[in-house]
Amino acid sequence: MPILASFLCGFVFGGGLVTSGMTQPAKVLGFLDLFGIPSGTWDPSLAVVMAAGLTVASIGYTLIRRRPPLFARESLWPTKTEIDQPLLFGALLFGVGWGLIGLCPGPAVANLATLSLPVAIFVIAMALGMLAHDLWLALPAPRSLAGKAAADG
Amino acid sequence: MQPPLMSASGPDYQPVVTLNGWLPGSYVTIVVGGLLVGFGTRLGSGCTSGHGICGIARLSPRSIVATGVFMVAAIIVVALTHHVFAG
Repeated sequence: MPILASFLCGFVFGGGLVTSGMTQPAKVLGFLDLFGIPSGTWDPSLAVVMAAGLTVASIGYTLIRRRPPLFARESLWPTKTEIDQPLLFGALLFGVGWGLIGLCPGPAVANLATLSLPVAIFVIAMALGMLAHDLWLALPAPRSLAGKAAADG
Repeated sequence: MQPPLMSASGPDYQPVVTLNGWLPGSYVTIVVGGLLVGFGTRLGSGCTSGHGICGIARLSPRSIVATGVFMVAAIIVVALTHHVFAG
């Protein structure tokens, strides 16, 4: 059952990304291009996607806060609350990459369905970026970014 | 009288192709973009879905800040690459 639930969630998520246009890099860049407001080419439709997604997700979270999950022992809620350097610097790097190509992780994986070589290269580079981060974290040397280092004393 | 099918090929009609595998950029840009997206989402603990939808829906301050940062960063990059340094 958990596998079936995962499959259904992925199916709905992927379907939503494709239907809304989030898997079209050109559309995403058209949304991020605020120079398009004066020239009349700005595409605000992805703001509607975000608003609708937030509405559904808020209702969902409100419902599952009250009860344990159906297919797992417990809900694993994020515990971090501090706005630290890794969060800010990571969001900055991600934003730069997103602005360069117009693909974020979910739509990039959904785009693999096209069997396109550029998309496959993007996803491999993305996986290597994640791997590089994990290897960098595993290094014993002192790190300039605070947070994780502080916990080591 | 026009057959009904003709109305679908009028000037306002555009085929809905939301998944065509085309990416706006050279292979160098694609690799750099992919590396940044991968490293950044791991370091920042989330992406558009994780922070932008799930995090904000939980009213998480970390996610609200992260979403603001990556939106502004992406908007600046698009402005630079498509207008300031547009070839």
